[in-house]
Amino acid sequence: MRKFLAVVKREYVQRVRTKFFVVATVLGPLIMAGFTVVPAMMLGMKSGGPTRLAIVDQTGKMYERVAKELMSGKKTSDDEDEQTPNQPPVGNNNPKQRVEQSGKLFRGSYLVEDVPLKGRAIDDVKKDLETRIENRELDGYLVLPPNLLKEGQAEFRARNSADVFTNNYVAGAISSAVRGQRLAEEKIDENSVDAASVRVQLKTTGAEGRESKGAASFYLVFGVGFLIYMTVLLYGQFVLGAVIEEKETRIAEILFSSIRSFPLMMGKLVGVSLVALTQLGIWAMAFLIFSAWAAGGSSIKLPRIPLMMFVYFAVFFLMGFFIYATVYAVVGSMVTTTQEGGQLALPVVLMLVSGLYLSFNIIRSPSSPLAFWASMFPFFAPITMLVRIVTETPPLWQILLSLAIGFVTIVGLVWLAARIYRVGMLMYGKKATIPEVWRWVRQS
Amino acid sequence: MEELKPTLVLDHVSKSFGDFTAVSDLSLQVRPGRVFGLIGPNGAGKTTTIRMIVNITAPDSGRVELFGQTMSTALQDRIGYLPEERGLYKRMKIGEQLRFFAELKSLRGAEAEKRIDLWLKKLDLFSWKEKRTKELSKGMQQKVQFITAVIHDPDLVILDEPFSGLDPVNVELMRETILEQKAAGKTIILSTHQMEIAEKLCDDVCMINRSRKVLDGKLREIRRSFSRNAVALQFQGGDGLLNDPALVANIRQHGDDTEVLLVPGASPQELLRRLVDAHVAVTKFELVEPSLHDIFIEKVREVA
Repeated sequence: MRKFLAVVKREYVQRVRTKFFVVATVLGPLIMAGFTVVPAMMLGMKSGGPTRLAIVDQTGKMYERVAKELMSGKKTSDDEDEQTPNQPPVGNNNPKQRVEQSGKLFRGSYLVEDVPLKGRAIDDVKKDLETRIENRELDGYLVLPPNLLKEGQAEFRARNSADVFTNNYVAGAISSAVRGQRLAEEKIDENSVDAASVRVQLKTTGAEGRESKGAASFYLVFGVGFLIYMTVLLYGQFVLGAVIEEKETRIAEILFSSIRSFPLMMGKLVGVSLVALTQLGIWAMAFLIFSAWAAGGSSIKLPRIPLMMFVYFAVFFLMGFFIYATVYAVVGSMVTTTQEGGQLALPVVLMLVSGLYLSFNIIRSPSSPLAFWASMFPFFAPITMLVRIVTETPPLWQILLSLAIGFVTIVGLVWLAARIYRVGMLMYGKKATIPEVWRWVRQS
Repeated sequence: MEELKPTLVLDHVSKSFGDFTAVSDLSLQVRPGRVFGLIGPNGAGKTTTIRMIVNITAPDSGRVELFGQTMSTALQDRIGYLPEERGLYKRMKIGEQLRFFAELKSLRGAEAEKRIDLWLKKLDLFSWKEKRTKELSKGMQQKVQFITAVIHDPDLVILDEPFSGLDPVNVELMRETILEQKAAGKTIILSTHQMEIAEKLCDDVCMINRSRKVLDGKLREIRRSFSRNAVALQFQGGDGLLNDPALVANIRQHGDDTEVLLVPGASPQELLRRLVDAHVAVTKFELVEPSLHDIFIEKVREVA
């Protein structure tokens, strides 16, 4: 046991002290931000001042409601959901909504202006407004046709018609206003309908604080999936490198004359995993401190992440690490050079990448059968299950089952790896073939 | 000496890898406080034998017994091993490296620190303690490696080709250190394919060739039993004097020496008398014991 700890200590201390560790710890979050947050922000960000919209109200009674909705920016998404029942029935978690919610974070304010017709033809008014858009006095205009309430169609002309966030937002605002007006005309109290809608929402989503989580999840999901992919890959490679170094330099010979191969291999895996946890811990701390600072009145809004997420992340990281690092240890003991190791490890990397790609699909429908099975398959689960937890937390039994499968897999892999490792580490000169390796496993 | 229990016993030990037999039915005993030479050409099975002694691999059949007990991981701490293929962590500092290897042999704390400093000073490496392995020369690395084998004061020290890659000064230093270990009562197994080194250092030897033992015993007795009645000569004059089939069986030229193999039963004194009678200027007249190399060659031929 003390020898095992000696291996753990060496592995940990030697790695944490390297320049690479320090640099990676500092630059890691920046790179992560570059990969995930920045594209999301760029997509959603409104540059410049408030969006100036003109409203041509041909109904003669809708302007106030629409203007109010646009300026207040409340309950847009809820209304939107109700107005479009043909969306895929995945509750509150469909990507469209998520896009919109994250858009909300970056949405600028709106300036609304009433443009009365005053007897002019609608086309003339439009022409005027077009000119103003060209002169950059306006960002867009909205035409509410006389039959808006019946047909439910409005016209939105924007300078940038590809701006998904604004389009969705405006659509939501009009929908909400139209709904309010319709209800009013039917003499139904709007507030009671709102209350009723809220109750329905609560039933479908559970008692969690949906709103904050939903808003965060858009890029949080990508961030988390990518982060676990990166760290498992990086630290798995460290194990590969460490094993190859000991084999190449023949240190293994001395090590094996002092310690059994099993505690040696486990010491290596545990040591490197602690290095990874240290790094992730530093990132988590930095994140918490930074978001606490940001919450105290800065313009940057960081997603609020429930503490349980950190626990899940650590647990699934460890699962991923031990699965992949064990495979890497086997690969390392089979080859003679780092280059060979890279080639032989390629299928392993592909497996990990598949997990990442699958998670794109899972984000869209986190409760689908595909998502379920992908998050039960131990080689994908570290990424896919975590993605599911972030998007739409599956029942606890699924999480526990996934972890249990992962645990059994790790035990099996370690058992197998220890046998291959012990023989492989003392085989010099050539790469081991699969039949050879199989013989080692059977013989020991 | 004989009544002391052997430090190490190999009892009909065999090991093969697939179709290749590395060690075949090897039995030997290593007695305490002696330098035991495991000699044989490259690929004879020396390293595999050592790996079984240090419990890196288990024999397919037969038994390894150390200090009177069947080999186990617990006994590994009482062995020091310098493998033929040297290996140190390249980016680790020497001091830390030694501390790590000491810990793997269950030696830690202040005692470890003390011994590390002691050994580094003894082998002229103390100023390199905080340097990384890659900054050291090959010879220095080898000395560091040697320290890893003896730092925990093991009862049995196994040295696989300890002199390869050392300059003459360090060869001498290493030789002295090995003899010091012996004087301190340690048992030493020296594996080498360089017969001359084994000749100078070993008390006992075991020769192996192609996975099999060809000969073992005390070095002195082996040499005596292989004595072939040969004389090394340096002389001038006396042409044709040695061409007497009744006295001389064979003549070989070894550099300045003429090695004369006498016919069995003939007396070297007779040869000397003839030389003196013929007024030959004799500058060297020495009864030669056969070298390990010669014995080895002879044994291998005999077996084949």
